[in-house]
Amino acid sequence: METGPVSRMKHESEVATVDAPQKQAAAADGTSTPVLEARSLSKRYGELEAVAGLDLRVEPSEIYCLLGPNGAGKTTTIHLFLGFLEPTSGSVHVMGLDVADEPLKSKNHLAYIPEQVMLYRNLSGLENLAYFAALGGKESLSPDRLTEILVEAGLQTEAVHSRVSEYSKGMRQKVGIAIAIAKDADALLLDEPTSGLDPQASNEFSELLERLKERGVAVLMATHDLFRAKESGTRIGIMQHGRLVVEMTTDEIGHADLERIYLDHMHE
Amino acid sequence: MIRHIIRKEFMDMVRDGRFRWCAALVGVLLLVSLGTGWVQARNAQKELTAAQATARDHWESQGEKNPHSAAHYGVYAFKPRLALSFVDEGVDSYTGTSVLLEAHRQNDFLLRPAQDATPAQRIGALTAAQVLQHLVPLLIILLTFGALAGERERGTLRQLLATGVERLELALGKALGVAAALALLLIPAALVWAAAIVMGSPGPAASPVIRGAVLAGVYLVYFATFIGLSLAVSARAPSARTALVVLLAIWVVNGLVAPRVAVDLSKWLYPTPSAVEFAQTLGKEMADGVGGIVRPDRAESTQELLDEYNLENVEDLPINAIGVFLQKSEEFGNQIFDRNYGALWNAFERQGYVHEALAVTAPLLAVRTLSMGLAGTDVEQHRHFAAAAEQYRRELVQRLNVDMTENSRTGEVYLAAADLWSQMPPFRYDAPTVGWVLRNRALSLLLMGLWLAGAFVAVTVAVRRAEVA
Repeated sequence: METGPVSRMKHESEVATVDAPQKQAAAADGTSTPVLEARSLSKRYGELEAVAGLDLRVEPSEIYCLLGPNGAGKTTTIHLFLGFLEPTSGSVHVMGLDVADEPLKSKNHLAYIPEQVMLYRNLSGLENLAYFAALGGKESLSPDRLTEILVEAGLQTEAVHSRVSEYSKGMRQKVGIAIAIAKDADALLLDEPTSGLDPQASNEFSELLERLKERGVAVLMATHDLFRAKESGTRIGIMQHGRLVVEMTTDEIGHADLERIYLDHMHE
Repeated sequence: MIRHIIRKEFMDMVRDGRFRWCAALVGVLLLVSLGTGWVQARNAQKELTAAQATARDHWESQGEKNPHSAAHYGVYAFKPRLALSFVDEGVDSYTGTSVLLEAHRQNDFLLRPAQDATPAQRIGALTAAQVLQHLVPLLIILLTFGALAGERERGTLRQLLATGVERLELALGKALGVAAALALLLIPAALVWAAAIVMGSPGPAASPVIRGAVLAGVYLVYFATFIGLSLAVSARAPSARTALVVLLAIWVVNGLVAPRVAVDLSKWLYPTPSAVEFAQTLGKEMADGVGGIVRPDRAESTQELLDEYNLENVEDLPINAIGVFLQKSEEFGNQIFDRNYGALWNAFERQGYVHEALAVTAPLLAVRTLSMGLAGTDVEQHRHFAAAAEQYRRELVQRLNVDMTENSRTGEVYLAAADLWSQMPPFRYDAPTVGWVLRNRALSLLLMGLWLAGAFVAVTVAVRRAEVA
């Protein structure tokens, strides 16, 4: 299917933050190393081209939302950034590090929240967070600090010490968010993070993303949620059949425009 | 970082009711089998010691008697129980632990518990070695089959690897976590093990501490091998269920198929006669001689003596010609025994090599060989004891024949003094050293090392190539 040339609208990443002014300035003049970058990235499974020639840059304090139908290549792109998959061609870079060459170092800059955060049922939320945080290099965080992070992520204080086997999906998702916060990473990779969350939890999640953005974190989020993408995102890319077919900044368009553009491309 | 993985794995396991039940079951079985094994071994040793003293007492209390009659009366030799025989009774149940040493005969061993066992005992007997060789690996499989495959299925593996943890570090942490959980049941068993050795070895001190330490090391290597193999399978299997099926298949091959194949193949390659066939052959050769081994003739023997002393009448001989003839008959029998028993033992030895070599297909075969060897209950040490007992028999009978020869004349009724029997030194047996055992079992040691190295390589490769999702 002919997808046509990528339609690129002007990228304006001009949202200054207090926490990351230097990164913001560098990103604004285009001289910085992007936090996340895909260069001519392709991933093929036999005849199926899951990702095809993807070029992508996510700067500090940017929330880049990847939209697209199932099978468009969004999750594959995230897995390529995580080094779970090897590119067929092209490369992925995290803070300038080639993921293929520096898989562990590049992960030190990343936090990841999957669609379904899965935790260890026999451990409490706090113990799960302590474990994942320690593996992510944050061994020194005290139980009090970890509890604060869980609460910041939206988990109720009384649930912190309960075993995860008693948690709802939303509560697990909040622990996943806490894991990402605790890692204090430069980039956050999100794969349908609000799937299955109730509206209140989704709003809390959006607020959290806003706070992370203000800290200079670069976010790449795969989602089906057009509303959330428009509300939270600073830039949106629409993928179809592994290709990035549209890229735009969210302040250029309204909700209706986004929906129309998305549907237009889905029906091409 | 690795301590966090170990701690988490340990916590996750001990909070799992399934683990607690399985571990408690295996732990109790292990402790009970160690305890009962030790009590049985101790009782058996006490009985042997008492029987040995009684037998010696009977020997020394024969009073005035013809030495050859005393040689037929015989004396019993008892195989001592080594300290670790309570862990692994090996082939002792089948080979027996005592033998009657008498003139003209190399008797079969007696006191074979397997002969006296009821059918229920034959099926239900569970030794500590069986728990360690079969049930602990099964527990390891149950603890590790989902270690990586389960994480992948649940989706936690990609979250783990997204943290930046190194795959091998994760695998090592998981392995040590399983080891820590196993320690919950192995440490009490090790304490019982050590206490049993220190508090009172049932047998003579044939380096019990060193044997115990080496045997413990052998089992730890075996468990480490199983942990490595299980993790490797878990890393590569598409699902936890597949991993479990594959690992159970490995367990069946290791614990049931390979030992059976080893028995059949070794016997096919190096056949041994049945007990009846062996006895018939021995009887025939003892009657007729064989090859260059000729049965001595009494008249010829007497004539040789007369020629030697340049006499014509046997009554004039200064020695007893019958005593000389009896010794010649004894030496003839010894050659026949050496020929037949030597061939039999050599066949057993070759069968043992086949067993050891087949450990390349199943680590259990190497562990079993080493376990029996270090416990002093294998065929090799039975042979070592049997050879010592036979040597003593020959020396004893020779002394009695010499006494008769030198202290009586042909044709006279000779009764040796009552103190002759106590002048015969009692049978003393020194069990082989640990070095002797390990030299004999070098192939098993080598193969255990290779299994461990292979498991390490397998888990390294498998974890590196493991699919994340």
